[in-house]
Amino acid sequence: MRSLPVSDPGTPDARSPIRFLWWTARAQLVPLLIGIALAILWWLGQALMPYAIGAAVNALTARDSGGLVRWAAVLLGLGGVQAVSGVLRHRYAVVTWLGAAYRTIQVTSRQATRLGATLPKRLSTGEVVSVGNSDIASIGNAMDILLRGSGALVAIAVVTVILLSSSLPLGLMVLIGVPVMAFAVGPLLRPLHHRQQRQRDLYGDLATRSADIVVGLRVLRGIGGEQVFADKYREESQLTRKAGVRVSAMESLLEGLQILLPGLLVAAVTWLGARFALDRQISSGDLVAFYGYAVFLIAPLRTLTEAADKLTKGHVAARRVCRILNLDPEITGGALPVPDGTLADRDSGVVVRPGLLIALAAADPEDAIAIADRLGHYSAGNVTLDGVPVADLGFAALREHILVADNAAKLFSGPLRDELDVRGKARGDDIARALHAACAEDIIEALPDGLDTQVAEAGREFSGGQQQRLRLVRALLTDPEILILVEPTSAVDAHTEARIAERLGKARAGRATLVCTTSPLVLDRADLVLYVADGRVQAEGTHRELIKSDSGYRSTVTRGED
Amino acid sequence: MARQILPVADRAQVRAYARRLALKYPKQLGGALALHALGAIAGLAGPLLLGQLVEAVSTGAPIDVDTLVLAFAGFVIAQAVLIRFAVYASSALGERVLAELREEFVDQVLALPLSTVEKAGSGDLITRTSRDVDALSRTVRQAVPETLIAVVTGVFMLGGLLIVAPLLALPSLIAVPLLWISTRWYLKRARDGYLRENAAYADMTEGLAETVEGARTVESLGLHDRRRARTDTDIARSFAAERYTLGLRMVWFPAVEMGYVIPVAATVLFGGLFYIEGWVTIAQVTAAILYVQQLVDPLDRLLSWIDELQVGGASMARLLGVANVRDDRVSTGVQADGEELRATDVRYAYRDGHDVLHGIDLDIRPGERLAMVGPSGAGKSTLGRLLAGIHGPRTGTVTVGGAPLVDLPLDELRGHVALVTQEHHVFRGTLRDNVLIARPDATDPEVRRALEAVDAWEWVSAMGLDTVVGSGGTAVTPAHAQQLALARLVLADPHTLVLDEATSLIDPRAARNLERSLAAVLDGRTVIAIAHRLYTAHDADRVAVVEDGRISELGSHHDLVAAKGAYAALWDSWHGKSR
Repeated sequence: MRSLPVSDPGTPDARSPIRFLWWTARAQLVPLLIGIALAILWWLGQALMPYAIGAAVNALTARDSGGLVRWAAVLLGLGGVQAVSGVLRHRYAVVTWLGAAYRTIQVTSRQATRLGATLPKRLSTGEVVSVGNSDIASIGNAMDILLRGSGALVAIAVVTVILLSSSLPLGLMVLIGVPVMAFAVGPLLRPLHHRQQRQRDLYGDLATRSADIVVGLRVLRGIGGEQVFADKYREESQLTRKAGVRVSAMESLLEGLQILLPGLLVAAVTWLGARFALDRQISSGDLVAFYGYAVFLIAPLRTLTEAADKLTKGHVAARRVCRILNLDPEITGGALPVPDGTLADRDSGVVVRPGLLIALAAADPEDAIAIADRLGHYSAGNVTLDGVPVADLGFAALREHILVADNAAKLFSGPLRDELDVRGKARGDDIARALHAACAEDIIEALPDGLDTQVAEAGREFSGGQQQRLRLVRALLTDPEILILVEPTSAVDAHTEARIAERLGKARAGRATLVCTTSPLVLDRADLVLYVADGRVQAEGTHRELIKSDSGYRSTVTRGED
Repeated sequence: MARQILPVADRAQVRAYARRLALKYPKQLGGALALHALGAIAGLAGPLLLGQLVEAVSTGAPIDVDTLVLAFAGFVIAQAVLIRFAVYASSALGERVLAELREEFVDQVLALPLSTVEKAGSGDLITRTSRDVDALSRTVRQAVPETLIAVVTGVFMLGGLLIVAPLLALPSLIAVPLLWISTRWYLKRARDGYLRENAAYADMTEGLAETVEGARTVESLGLHDRRRARTDTDIARSFAAERYTLGLRMVWFPAVEMGYVIPVAATVLFGGLFYIEGWVTIAQVTAAILYVQQLVDPLDRLLSWIDELQVGGASMARLLGVANVRDDRVSTGVQADGEELRATDVRYAYRDGHDVLHGIDLDIRPGERLAMVGPSGAGKSTLGRLLAGIHGPRTGTVTVGGAPLVDLPLDELRGHVALVTQEHHVFRGTLRDNVLIARPDATDPEVRRALEAVDAWEWVSAMGLDTVVGSGGTAVTPAHAQQLALARLVLADPHTLVLDEATSLIDPRAARNLERSLAAVLDGRTVIAIAHRLYTAHDADRVAVVEDGRISELGSHHDLVAAKGAYAALWDSWHGKSR
């Protein structure tokens, strides 16, 4: 069996849900085709059973015990064919199911990384995560049903041929009856899908609600309010239940019709067959066989209905996947090589020069965030690097060149060493030096396995201050030409802050660093301080100079202390 | 993954729970089963009538084909109608049971001890709330009714066979050992296999969620390849688990398929021989063959859904497992006498043998503002959580009015003391909903006052109280989220508040204003503020310096500065520079 996942899922065709499903199917064409062949064999094993039973009844009425034994053996043989082809078909069905599901997860996850900073602006987390939770299953089901569905079509065709060649009127009756039965339930399918969609939407909302509860559990347990959330969940759960009952009202109708319509066809076939048998046009064995065929046909017909349903659901799921896949990053780059040099934001007048530790103190912290985002090219602006607009520079190289490290950045789960040294370029005691600069040694010392400790999801076991220092370690280890830190010490105590401020300049020696902060401890250590108010640089100089000369700056950084 | 996974319920527990659920609605269940039984009986007519036809054809006996077939058609119609209502009744019952199941589960999630949630990671819990609830939905809505239908239909078909031709039921028994042994073999291994499959799937979902939540970080640090590799590793693990269960089915399925066909072949052979011997009539043989053949359908349904029942059982085990987390508090019925919060010789360890607090004694005077300062990692947050009754101490006691906090029922505890941390989750809902959490009956003017107290009314009123925020709604900055959290607290109005860096994400100057207006609103309340900004300490009545899990200094700001200890040094390094 081919091992999964494939290393490269390829580029999905997301122009439409159908194209996406087709792309998924084509990517595993060989197992799909083998599976279809096996499914056909499996169905035929079942379809020929009535023939063998009819022949056995004929032998029986003729009191031919030799023939009886022979046909019983044929029955057993057909059973063997079913057993072997059935299990192999299942195997290929699972492989194609998994292949489609895993490929969908792969392209979704890759798309999430491609969208990057654009993703949270355009999609809710739940929307993307639900792809992993339910949509991949629907897409997998759509693949799976192709196997059994194709086999069912062939089985119906073969039985029809047998019937036509045994008796034209009976054959015609089945030939006409089967499609009529299939189409008769058609009008029910649309309202059914409509109700299913509504149920699914409500169910999705319910899932988002429960995810919200889980993520906010810490908050809730601190202050109370569990009952409010329990009640809200209960209310939505009951709405979902009612929608579910409405679905089953339709489904049960369909179930009833699926007994009624084939049952009436069987009755008609039996009626006509019995007349022919009494007239000696067909044998009593043939009559049993005809009855058997008509009963058998119910199964492939149900499979076709199931196929219609699963393909529809697969289509809906593929549409959601396509919606995600069709988004493009809002900010992209050009093709020019990234030069070394001065980074300048024309709108605010902020200039980041190589080799300097520059601090930006903004009267309004929103200004600092906006400037950092523009400088790092996370939002459009009038920013140049060495005179070249950043929008014209190669995107990946630019991200490597300039790192904006803010407090919304996430830690990921994995071995701590890997999560700190994300670019894998730390040599010798680089990590130790970065830990020292960020005053984070105590965090590592307290861990059972030190740097080899597994970080839990989002670094939750670390306190806010610890997370902030670990993020700073990570940013320092990536060692970009230009590092823009947004309030890097907001969650640490004064003592630690003083030490970090002292060590930061040394850690970034020779590189360009911009620290957005209003902490006097950090500002005092900067080579140059820019004071920003109303979106523009109002004054620059050292901390001590500005404290004396600029009253706006003074009130910003002394925090109105007595 | 080295992280702790939440517990999973054992088999006996799942079984007992399923039994309790099944018997909860006896009338509805009885009604649905009766309808299915009647439907199955109506379905027995076909083979019987065909047997008579074949008998007539081969012996030339006179027979009224039209009446027979009309009767057959009548039975078909009856069966269709009965099954329609039977399916409806069983699904409606399934939906009801399912809704109760998931609501109960969410109740249990909401009652989970905090320490457990933090250790287990939210991914495991999210998967349980989504995929396991999903899997259980399928089981309760489909697998359970289908199994019941299969059992009822199968039993009646077997009954029909026994009534029509008892002798001809014997050949079918040949297949019973094969079906029995192979199914037992399979079921014994399947449960663990499917549990593993679910766990691997949980990791995969968690990985995707992490990538999505950290998408901006992925972009800024260039983690694309690492996240891709993580996805692929998760998939590989999931695939290995899937492959194991597939291997089980590769053995079981062929055995079962043979188990279906052997009875048919045996009935044909022995039925024929019995007929030639004259022991049975041709009508009996025909009907028996058809019954045995049609018996495959309910049997197959039963076996294929047993599979699904196992998956559902595995999911149920994971859902019920949440209830197995030992509660971290037992209310002993003890009553708090007064509002005084007192910690006596408190020690606490997250890991055995690694105490982070070493015998803390602290009396908090009602109505005072106490600031806790100290280096990161000294144990301030831990002490704060103990003082808020979130954790119980390993040794020693934390009491309010003489009653240990962890001995109080949660509702009562919250009436005394509440905690706000720097966690800034915004719930999906309106801004109003986000403030009302702790006191849902508060009026709009009260909400407004609470928001004004935290300097948030300006931006909230600009957005409108009805603006939907949280996942999928309008984005709220972390600083604003902290203000919402504080407004919640103001509205909840306990007599003691623990603020663990509750303003750390707010711009320092705004934070000081906020703390002052908050102090005005909270006048008379006891406030314990864990802070890294020294002005909070400066503004407080007393300051506790926490170092290495101990309180090293305790007193007013001026006393401590005068004492020229660690606090004074800290104050100088903070304050001296800015002057």
